[in-house]
Amino acid sequence: MADDKTPPAANNPYTQTYVVVSGDTLSKIAQKYYGDPALYTKIFQANRDVLSDPNKISPGQKLRIP
Amino acid sequence: MKKQSAWLLASLAALIMVGCAGQKEPAEKALASAQSALATIHDAAQKYAPDQLQAVETQLAGVKDSLAKGDYKGVLAAAPALTTAISGLKDTADAKQKDAEAAAAQAKDAWGPLSTDVPNMVTAIQSRVDILSKSHHLPAGVTKDGLASAKSGLDSMKAAWTDASSAATSGDFTTAVGKAQAVKAQAADIMKSLGMSSG
Repeated sequence: MADDKTPPAANNPYTQTYVVVSGDTLSKIAQKYYGDPALYTKIFQANRDVLSDPNKISPGQKLRIP
Repeated sequence: MKKQSAWLLASLAALIMVGCAGQKEPAEKALASAQSALATIHDAAQKYAPDQLQAVETQLAGVKDSLAKGDYKGVLAAAPALTTAISGLKDTADAKQKDAEAAAAQAKDAWGPLSTDVPNMVTAIQSRVDILSKSHHLPAGVTKDGLASAKSGLDSMKAAWTDASSAATSGDFTTAVGKAQAVKAQAADIMKSLGMSSG
């Protein structure tokens, strides 16, 4: 049903979400959910529809955590 | 006097024989009617009330035996009870068939949301497992054993989901829903163990 290359569907209600707060970075979020800040790219790729730059996230933004 | 008695006995015997012969046709008709009634409900009874069917068939065999022995009076005496038993069997089979059809319709309705929920859950878990497998350190609350268990759980969930889908394709929604609900429960447990249950 899924493989390593399959990103979670944007409309998958079981994909975890996170609301960005002040001071967050994708690396911090990756640390929180994956234990490894280097995996921030996974979050960035899963949110390309709302993020154009991994260094620019805003408080209140709702991000999918694949 | 002796001649008179013998004549009376012979007459009585003849009357009894005529009487019995008079009961033969109604007895045969009663048995044929019961057999016909049972034949019309046999398949449904076999499926929904097999034990009760067996009891009725035993009862019917007894009546047949009576007929074969020429006990027409016995056949006619047993016929009402047999008719009642067949009628009761029909009622039971009809009620159970109705219940089964209602349960099947309910299962078909339940299958709809499950058929999208479960694959979505498995996809979300697969994605998280793939990413965590590349992580140098697991996040708080997630253990190596938990991750290993999630990986093996994915395999078993995919196999069970294939079974559930096959059952649904063949129209057996009751089995499909049972299997799908088990997969969904397993998926929920795995999501919890991977910290995917909260935002």
